Amino acid sequence: MMIEPFLESATPVWMHVEDDYSDIVISTRIRLARNLDGYRFPLVFSEDEALQVEQAVTHAIQDSSKLLERYSYFAIKDLTPLQRQILVEKHLISPQLAKKELVGSMLLSEDESISIMVNEEDHLRIQCMTASFQLQKAYEQANKIDRALEGALPYAFRDNFGYLTSCPTNIGTGLRASVMMHLPVLTLTGQMNQIINAMTRLGMTVRGIYGEGSENLGNVYQVSNQITLGKTEDDILADIQSVAEKIIQKERQARGKLMDKAELALEDRIYRALGTLTHARILTSEEAATCLSNVRLGVDLKLIDGIKAATLNECIVCMQPGFLQHYAGEALPPSERDRVRAKMLREALFQETLSKPTIGGKGEDSYDV
Amino acid sequence: MICEHCKQRNATVTVTQVQNSQKMEHHYCDVCASQFHPFHAEFKQEPVSIQQLLSNWFGSPTWQQKVGEKQQAPPQQQTCTYCGFTYKRFLKEGKFGCPSCYDTFAEHLPKLFNRIQAGPQHIGKMPGAHSNVYVVKKQIEDIRKRMKDAVDEEQFEEAAKLRDEAKELENQLQFEGGDVS
Ligand SMILES: [Zn+2]
Ligand SMILES: [Zn+2]
Repeated sequence: MMIEPFLESATPVWMHVEDDYSDIVISTRIRLARNLDGYRFPLVFSEDEALQVEQAVTHAIQDSSKLLERYSYFAIKDLTPLQRQILVEKHLISPQLAKKELVGSMLLSEDESISIMVNEEDHLRIQCMTASFQLQKAYEQANKIDRALEGALPYAFRDNFGYLTSCPTNIGTGLRASVMMHLPVLTLTGQMNQIINAMTRLGMTVRGIYGEGSENLGNVYQVSNQITLGKTEDDILADIQSVAEKIIQKERQARGKLMDKAELALEDRIYRALGTLTHARILTSEEAATCLSNVRLGVDLKLIDGIKAATLNECIVCMQPGFLQHYAGEALPPSERDRVRAKMLREALFQETLSKPTIGGKGEDSYDV
Repeated sequence: MICEHCKQRNATVTVTQVQNSQKMEHHYCDVCASQFHPFHAEFKQEPVSIQQLLSNWFGSPTWQQKVGEKQQAPPQQQTCTYCGFTYKRFLKEGKFGCPSCYDTFAEHLPKLFNRIQAGPQHIGKMPGAHSNVYVVKKQIEDIRKRMKDAVDEEQFEEAAKLRDEAKELENQLQFEGGDVS
């Protein structure tokens, strides 16, 4: 199986959905951590054990008639560093799995909404993604796969501790539910601190989408549960659901207030961002992320029309180093990346902004003083 | 980026704090982050090593508290027969070596899970095969309770009936490979 098709587009088809939540929620992800009894965890296992685990898992997946999806198999060691990086940027594999030289592999469904990581931190990590805010749908998908595999694989499970995992932070249900949200106005108005504090107290975590050290770059946050033991799956999902709903509500209120109080200033900020994206010749990832966030807000608030949210989602993924180099067709030093990033974003957005009467459209008429 | 508290794991949680109108960002790993409720209480403390952190979760080892009960090996000295992990190694890595570690160190874990999780007991879903065993175990537990009540009320005939019921279920469990204890 070739990896190339999976690297071609920044966002898979399943991402291109617009519903009641897509002004704020980008995607939902469910992950189940599972291990096989009788094998040491990947932290310390032998290469031989790794191979046995991998064979057991891949056979179980390929043999299971209950799994309707077809899965493509990739050994991490067979992928180039750039290919791995792109898979990480697309959130199809974790950075940790990308580093596995010998033993890691992944199974990927055709539409990329399901990826099964083998021998990452745990023997098995089932990951299901949906566009927008669909915790239940994503969980049902993951649960179906889990149910199909449990008959064929000797899961490490104890009545008291539940599904056993390498790290005690995943024990019990092994369930991590994450909702990725774009929260520009809560960030702008400084309310995120408060929210993050409150969420931490509720046993939730918040992190950024561009990986370590860039936590709120582009104002995109990932909210996920921290607690995996002592609650049922339904409780965990309900907790995340209600917390995410509250955050969505708060962001919408904040957006409404900002529009009432400072529409012109907001519109100015949004159009400056659009101007930068469509005309700049050098763009650092920080500036690009900020501008994309502003333009996205403009689209969500209907201050800009003609640009699709899907295009922006695509840009958010594409502007990362791995994709840029894939786009350029060569390895690029960091300075060159800024140039290529500007070029890529210009090309992606210029067409859409030119073909529709967006610039000078609503803006000038409504603010004629 | 490394967790600024334990300085060992990757930082995955960012906490933004505003103090005297100054914005400060702190980066913690999952493990440390789940420890801090709320965060700001912890800043002033010196960063501690992960060993200390884990030891702190446990407080004094349970074997010291159980005076008069059967002597247990101190957790530090217990070794998982399957993977060779010692408790000390677990404290160092923050991770277990294999599923059997959970059995080896079972009695020291509830305390840890009370701290970093919502409790020490799994109440979520279980693999199909287990759910059967689990249901039967619950039934046996229930019958034993009723048996005790019957004995207390001197209804010995009823108690004998319940005892036979429990036995039958236990046999069934053993047949299915479940652990009766
Ligand atoms: Zn830490
Ligand atoms: Zn072990």
